[in-house]
Amino acid sequence: MKKTALLGGLLAATCLAGTAQADKLDDIMASGTLRCAVVLDFPPMGSRDADNNPIGFDVDYCNDLAAALGVEAEIVETPFPDRIPALVSGRVDVGVASTSDTLERAKTAGFTIPYFAFTNVVLTREDAGVEGFDDLKGKTVGSVGGTYEGIQLEDNIKAWGDGDFRPYQSQADVFLALSQGQIDGTVVTSTVASSIVQSGKYDGLVIKGDAPYLPDYVALIALRQEYGLLNYLDLFINQQVRTGRYQELFDKWVGGEAPDLTVNKAYR
Amino acid sequence: MFTYTFQWRQAWQKIPLLLDGALVTLEIALLSMAMGVAFAVILAVARNSKSRWIYAPATVWVEVARNTPALFQIYMAHFGLGSFGIHLSPYIALLAGITFNNAGYLAETFRGALRAIPGTQLRAARSLGMPQTQAFRLVIMPQMFRIAFLPTTNQMVWAILMTSLGVTVGMNTDLAGVTQDINVRSFRTFEIFALAAVIYYLIAKAVTLGARLLARRMFRY
Repeated sequence: MKKTALLGGLLAATCLAGTAQADKLDDIMASGTLRCAVVLDFPPMGSRDADNNPIGFDVDYCNDLAAALGVEAEIVETPFPDRIPALVSGRVDVGVASTSDTLERAKTAGFTIPYFAFTNVVLTREDAGVEGFDDLKGKTVGSVGGTYEGIQLEDNIKAWGDGDFRPYQSQADVFLALSQGQIDGTVVTSTVASSIVQSGKYDGLVIKGDAPYLPDYVALIALRQEYGLLNYLDLFINQQVRTGRYQELFDKWVGGEAPDLTVNKAYR
Repeated sequence: MFTYTFQWRQAWQKIPLLLDGALVTLEIALLSMAMGVAFAVILAVARNSKSRWIYAPATVWVEVARNTPALFQIYMAHFGLGSFGIHLSPYIALLAGITFNNAGYLAETFRGALRAIPGTQLRAARSLGMPQTQAFRLVIMPQMFRIAFLPTTNQMVWAILMTSLGVTVGMNTDLAGVTQDINVRSFRTFEIFALAAVIYYLIAKAVTLGARLLARRMFRY
């Protein structure tokens, strides 16, 4: 009698504890699907091929992550401003979306260690009379609102007190505005700039030197309280670099030496 | 399960920025309505014209304005005209798009109001010796505005809400633009959007109530 009660109690406790402790990582493994938020108008990180299938560095990264977890990957197209709503409303589990790890945002979302780093360049039109970053002063410029470089460029314009900044909703709109002459320049990640110039989709776009910004380290994002998942993601990123997969993906989508993801003289 | 902790203090600090944005929103809505009403009167009269050269363009305007999305109209004002080398700033493109839309809808409102005025009134005014234009201006138009006043305030509310579409053409000073800017910097989407929604609601409600009070004073028999 006593033994059965004890056993029953233990069983109940285990069950309860089991359900109470199931976190996001458990949910992903149990559901068999990893849903990644990926930005698909941001080549070469994310875009669509001729058959409208998602492709890019971030898409491959999500597939690798799903393979490591032993689940299926599901790519959920998410515009830049919608990454956090997608995460919080439970439409996605992880953001593999080139998210810059600012301290302001880290108050809301959980950031991993960096998985990629961008440098930013000035993209302009041949006839715009912009020869470098300093020439953007006093010009009408634009960028995708809310991106690392967009926020900095907006702050530059405010600090200069001269010129005009326009935040667009997508990278495609920025290039369209630039090629039409609505804006005279933009600051954009070097990878995106070279891929759009090479594509020849827009006439007369040229890269004119680097923007003097710190490297834009981007991280994977998950809900802030999901430590189990965030720990797993940190280790996954480390393993991607360690095994050479990071360099392999960089060769495939960008080419050259993959950016260093460590910061000198600092932990993490 | 909803796993999010609201941080209202952080959002509350942004209220002054949001209110600045609300002023710009109200400014665009008022300007677009003023111009919209002016264009709408012309369109309503043109739609009653017997000349095809006057009737046809007015009809095309009204048809396009009423049967395509406002988003499309604003996007076209910025990127569509841009591809022809006509560059409207986001502010002007938004204002032009909403004015175009307002004029189209209001033209139909006014045309309906004109039809509600018995034709005998114009004839009575003419028989008193008024020229056609004077009769229209002094007898018909005041009655038309009176009949169309409350439907016009509906359009005003609609204009306020339409200003939020400006973010698609790079507008960053109106309420929606400011909201989006704060959102992408802080990722506090829910708090900021909730505050913006409340402000939109209050502006729209104030307009409706204000218009009703005004109507009660102006249109007392």
